[in-house]
Amino acid sequence: MIEVKNICKSYNVIQKGEGFRGALKGLISRESEKVQAVKNLSFHIQPGEIVGFIGPNGAGKSTTIKMMSGILTPSSGEILINGRDIHKYRKQVVQDIGVVFGQRSQLDWDLRLGESFELLRHIYRIDKAKYEETLNIMDQILEIKPLLSKPVRQMSLGQRVKGDLVAAMLHAPSVLFLDEPTIGLDVGAKYSLRKFVKEVNEERNTTVILTTHDLGDIEQLCDRIIIINNGELIEDGNLEEIVDRIAPYKTLVVEYYDEKAPEHARCELFFHEANVAKYRFMKKDITAAALIQALSAEAQIKDVSIEEAGIDDIIRIAYGQLKE
Amino acid sequence: MKIYSYVCKMQILRSMTYKFNVYGNIIMQTIIMLTTSFFWKALYQNAETVQGVEIGSMLTYTVISSCISVILTTNVEQRITRSVEKGTIAVDLMRPVNIFAVFFAEDLGNVVALLFQNLLPIIFIGCIFIQVPLLASGASVLMFLISLCLAFFINWLLAAIFGMWAFTAINMHALLQVKRHLIRLLSGSMIPLWFFPEWLRIVLEAFPFVYLYQLPLSIYIGKCDGMSLIRGITIQLVWLAVLSFIFYILQKRAARKVMIQGG
Repeated sequence: MIEVKNICKSYNVIQKGEGFRGALKGLISRESEKVQAVKNLSFHIQPGEIVGFIGPNGAGKSTTIKMMSGILTPSSGEILINGRDIHKYRKQVVQDIGVVFGQRSQLDWDLRLGESFELLRHIYRIDKAKYEETLNIMDQILEIKPLLSKPVRQMSLGQRVKGDLVAAMLHAPSVLFLDEPTIGLDVGAKYSLRKFVKEVNEERNTTVILTTHDLGDIEQLCDRIIIINNGELIEDGNLEEIVDRIAPYKTLVVEYYDEKAPEHARCELFFHEANVAKYRFMKKDITAAALIQALSAEAQIKDVSIEEAGIDDIIRIAYGQLKE
Repeated sequence: MKIYSYVCKMQILRSMTYKFNVYGNIIMQTIIMLTTSFFWKALYQNAETVQGVEIGSMLTYTVISSCISVILTTNVEQRITRSVEKGTIAVDLMRPVNIFAVFFAEDLGNVVALLFQNLLPIIFIGCIFIQVPLLASGASVLMFLISLCLAFFINWLLAAIFGMWAFTAINMHALLQVKRHLIRLLSGSMIPLWFFPEWLRIVLEAFPFVYLYQLPLSIYIGKCDGMSLIRGITIQLVWLAVLSFIFYILQKRAARKVMIQGG
């Protein structure tokens, strides 16, 4: 159970002037500006949920994750994990948290993967039998054992992320934070990461909170999404409900025999090139069948297909780049 | 405790990975030792003793000073600076450990590795080219070790307190160099303070630096005994207490101000 109550985070960013003059000026006097990265964010997460944090770059997702995992201290507000304030009881609370950053590793560059795990085993006080057991389970999902004797600096990105996932799960945390875990991964590695998240969630009831720009991650993993922009909460809820509410339309793609595309009063022709036309219609206004029938009366249709509004539409709308 | 001793052990392993740093330091220390010994030989050409110290003691001082510089190696400032720069400080802060205890364990591991990689070669080179650094008396060995231990802790605390700046100031590389060279000059590691003007000596004795090098070195060559020895060790203990207190107050606040770079 995670409770986030009215958290804010602001940074002081030093303003530097441009060019040589600015650099010289910066040596003598510096002006700093307060930047609000996160503004008054509140939400609850139940045990066993998989929650996707989405938002454009610089929206405050990573800052929020870092505050929730005890790395950054909020300027105000509080975060309770399993009922305890993470910043007052950091050492105890982080014992029950696992974190993976897609862009930086917690594995030790100079050591072998197995040695890195062994170090973590000591840090989290995991007993040997439990450690072996977890490693065996992880091996079934991610095939990690062949990598144990490999130095971390020689690993590929995919292997390294696998290593990081296992590292985060060694102490069997009840909450797992994944900050852009699929960044830069190939299809195969993404697949095993998603499989991993699903399995730890189902078998151990681990709560998973992930930030991502990969819509596939969200569609396949998350029951719930939280959309953040400019440090503020924009949407929080069930994925399908949000889709239905924000984008309650479908798109009909029609290929005609000639280049003339008829219009229809109950839908919007928003794309027309050569003999392909795309119509956007509200589900409540007209059914797809009726629309096709009406259109085929006006022009000869070669082929049709229907596209549901997807998560990428939602995100574009929520980010304000597309007007409804 | 078990955690930190394991961290220390892993650091020893890690220090073994990079050999070139180690050779670099041996070469640097050799150059410093040799030039300083030539300097002393030139200075003592027309004198038996200067300020009650013979040439032999001065050469011993030079060799042992290089040895102490190996033991007083700290990495904590660079460790914090680099972690803040690269953003890996996030990883340090997400674990159920006291980060400063981890930094201390890492530095301790480093020094243990250096005992073999650096200290032994330097003693060896010193013995061959300069002088076998004999202790003034068997009784002073204990006092020397006590004083050296205290110097180690004082030095580490200075480094850690200094390193805390990196949590907010971010780029510290130039400042780190300044600190290093100031300590070299002001601690009597190259030129003992008894060669300095009286007023400067009195001023410097009020700072902790002298108690890093000159005090253990003076004990080693037998220049510091009786009352001055007791006084020296007492001042070391006072500095240790003062710095521990400052460290304790600052470390509570330091991690809160941390900035995470990149993503």
